[in-house]
Amino acid sequence: MELLNKKIAQDIIFEGLSHGADFVDVFVERTENESLLFKNSKTEDKQSGTIFGIGIRLIHGHQALYGYTNINEREELLRITTLLGSRIGQKKSLSTTFNFERFDYPTVAAVADKNVSAVEKMAKMKKIDEILRKDVKTAQVILNFISKKQKIEVYDSEGLFASEDRPYIRLAHQIIMKDGAHESDAFYGPGARGGWEFIQDLPVQEICDGLIQRATTALYASPCPAGKMPVVIDNGFGGVIFHEACGHLLETTSVEKKASVFWDKMGEQIAHHALSAIDDGTLGGEWGSLSIDDEGMPTQRTTLIENGILKRFISDRIGEMKTGHKRTGSARRQSYKFAPASRMRNTFIDRGPHDLSSILASVDHGLYAKTMGGGSVDPGTGEFNFAVQEAYMIENGKIARAVKGATLIGSGADIMTKISMVGNDLKLMAGMCGSVSGSIPTTVGQPPIKVDEILVGGRA
Amino acid sequence: MKNLMEKVLNDVKKNHAEADLILNRSTSLKMSTQEASLSEYKVSSSQVLGLRLIKDGKVGLAYTESLDEDALKLMIKQALGNADTNHPNPNEKILNHSGEIRDEMTYEEQETPISLKVEKAISLETELKKREPRFLASTYNGYSEGEYTGIFMSTSGRSTFYSDKIYSIYTAALLGENGKKANYYDFDISHTYKDLLWEKVIAHSLDYSRQILKEQTLETGKYQIRFTEDALKNLMHVFSSLFSAKAAMDKVNPWAQKLGEVVMAKCLSIDDHADYKKAFRISKFDSEGVERKHLSLIEDGVLKSFYHNSLTSHFFKTQNTGHASRGPQGPLGLSETTMLIQGKDVKPLPPKYLEIFQLDGLHAGTNRITGDFSLPVKGFVWENAEKKMTFGNVTLGGNFFNMLKEVEVVGSELHASSDASFFSVPLIFNDLSIAGK
Repeated sequence: MELLNKKIAQDIIFEGLSHGADFVDVFVERTENESLLFKNSKTEDKQSGTIFGIGIRLIHGHQALYGYTNINEREELLRITTLLGSRIGQKKSLSTTFNFERFDYPTVAAVADKNVSAVEKMAKMKKIDEILRKDVKTAQVILNFISKKQKIEVYDSEGLFASEDRPYIRLAHQIIMKDGAHESDAFYGPGARGGWEFIQDLPVQEICDGLIQRATTALYASPCPAGKMPVVIDNGFGGVIFHEACGHLLETTSVEKKASVFWDKMGEQIAHHALSAIDDGTLGGEWGSLSIDDEGMPTQRTTLIENGILKRFISDRIGEMKTGHKRTGSARRQSYKFAPASRMRNTFIDRGPHDLSSILASVDHGLYAKTMGGGSVDPGTGEFNFAVQEAYMIENGKIARAVKGATLIGSGADIMTKISMVGNDLKLMAGMCGSVSGSIPTTVGQPPIKVDEILVGGRA
Repeated sequence: MKNLMEKVLNDVKKNHAEADLILNRSTSLKMSTQEASLSEYKVSSSQVLGLRLIKDGKVGLAYTESLDEDALKLMIKQALGNADTNHPNPNEKILNHSGEIRDEMTYEEQETPISLKVEKAISLETELKKREPRFLASTYNGYSEGEYTGIFMSTSGRSTFYSDKIYSIYTAALLGENGKKANYYDFDISHTYKDLLWEKVIAHSLDYSRQILKEQTLETGKYQIRFTEDALKNLMHVFSSLFSAKAAMDKVNPWAQKLGEVVMAKCLSIDDHADYKKAFRISKFDSEGVERKHLSLIEDGVLKSFYHNSLTSHFFKTQNTGHASRGPQGPLGLSETTMLIQGKDVKPLPPKYLEIFQLDGLHAGTNRITGDFSLPVKGFVWENAEKKMTFGNVTLGGNFFNMLKEVEVVGSELHASSDASFFSVPLIFNDLSIAGK
């Protein structure tokens, strides 16, 4: 059964078109959220909730008019549509009519769900907590389980009706360690498009060993020296550097405002020839995957950069209208409260020919950023910053002492030309990305890479 | 709406539980502009109802955005189910107090036509372009207004009502010259349309972007540093869990065992002042309906108190300070109101210091446990009361806990952050490093 009566959807669209809109779409969302917080070796908080709402968009020329409400009544929906339409013009009678046609599309696979009781979920978390607390230095373990079951419907004035069920699941692990005056923490947050089987199959012991090792290393690490140096960034969450330094600048949201340093560089060499990059919404089970985007278009695998040459931007309907760059199935939003915008899905640097040891061996003195933290970018200037969670100095091609407090800063356009070696061990990692249309699940990823020079902020 | 909330609470009581209920409703208008025309126009009306119930000592939370009868029944069922699976929490209670408090702000406002608001929003960008030949684009540009109401009711008979209206404008001037780009974002908020400072937002955005275009790097080393109020507020906010009793309970507050100890320079005191008249908004009650009180957090460098709600005050067997914070979709937490940093032993400004006006990457480049941070910053070099240079492409490194001890007061007047939620006397920090060339 549909979330919104088709006749009401038709009335909304008709009302928008009557005011002179070129295009109207209606986005309907119902999301069941469940979260479970495990802390102090017990369940601290279990929550459930339902999000429901309807977003209405009228496009007139290059102008988007957007309204939303969670009052699912014809009168309220038409009131909002009329309010938006009045920005375009007076209502006129229309002779056209149309019917919606259900749009069938290939479904992107999700990890299977399983009906699991809260008690079983808590037992899984208790097991993780026990393993992490076996180390005497562990002062706190925080586990945050979230499950989100989003159902969306899209209706538009071209007659499209599409719907998708999107399951998301994630288990964030955080460990805090103390030893005398020393404190440290480590985080790992795997997530998937899917259900409980993803959590069930996580390699618990391996994850716990990794967290303990990272937190222990950070506990006794010395401050990172500051200055410009070559940096080797390992795979997985290291991909956040491409996401922030380049990915955001390839979204038409930035390109259309000419606010991206790459807005006029299509077909040009914007990165080192060693680098190719992909944004792929079709990867089965991945956290950033979708069957259709929030405008009802099937997602695709989009080659953004090939051998350093800019091939495509990440585009949505408005982006295509304003820039001429074709839609890529990348219109995304946090919820019905946001108009869609061109956003990344699973974005990664593609595999190269090198293994990690040969990349490290090419550096006399530099930084090995084994695990990256978060970062941010100013799309206008391309200036970015990233924190490094786990880092070591590289001396004479070998990993040397552990260091803490490293931050990498630079500009996207500059760093892309300095990625001179790309490894062959590609790994993806789940994250949340915040931008104009809210906070959405995205995957970052890369094999190990070498950046010839980057400013490392540490302790002078 | 009160009837509906009373009905939910009665149904909770029938299930032998106690509860409180929060209803938030809002309507808003937002518009953004691009290339001298309206690019986005957004209207909304929304509501969300959140239930926190306690049954047999266990807490259950649930919320819904739909207020039909079935949705309300489902919310109660989910909350009861969640309580059933949660671990008993002897510290969390529904406070046994009753009576109503209202916090409704009324503002003198004249009706402004939408067409004028659109025109003014567009002018944010067109003015930037008119005044500066190096203008490339406005990366963010817009206007918004919203009306918010919040109702709290509990099974013990406590109820509160809150309403407010907020207007905001923002712009960012992206300038470019000889391949170098500069972008600075500025905003203003007010409770009435007529009080919005359009000219200030345009002028600040342009002025700072012009300064950033001229930025140079600095030599790596230690510097004496002053933060603008906005920059200091943002840095303090990252480490706000230092004042949280909940974080202390959860063993993630490095100051958990420091009550009564010196944690800052003795020349400094920090207060939480809920009814500070110069603040953007005074606050009469917290999210459990407890009336606000003035709270001394740090006095002459000594940590005096944490923020408490009913849960943490029960756990630590101390007084509830009235800092409960809870939205309809979340658990009981803590939050500050208006922070005031006051000082004594005023010293003269040093002849040379750095003034930092922009800190980036705060969510990633700071460690809330160890206090270490390393952040990209921009600012000005001051020498003999003269602004000598703009600097950028450098990082600021240090340890927050040490930074608070190596500080000097260089003025006695309180200065406000742009959103008037944070006030501080001018301070100079001595134990910070810059990594540059």
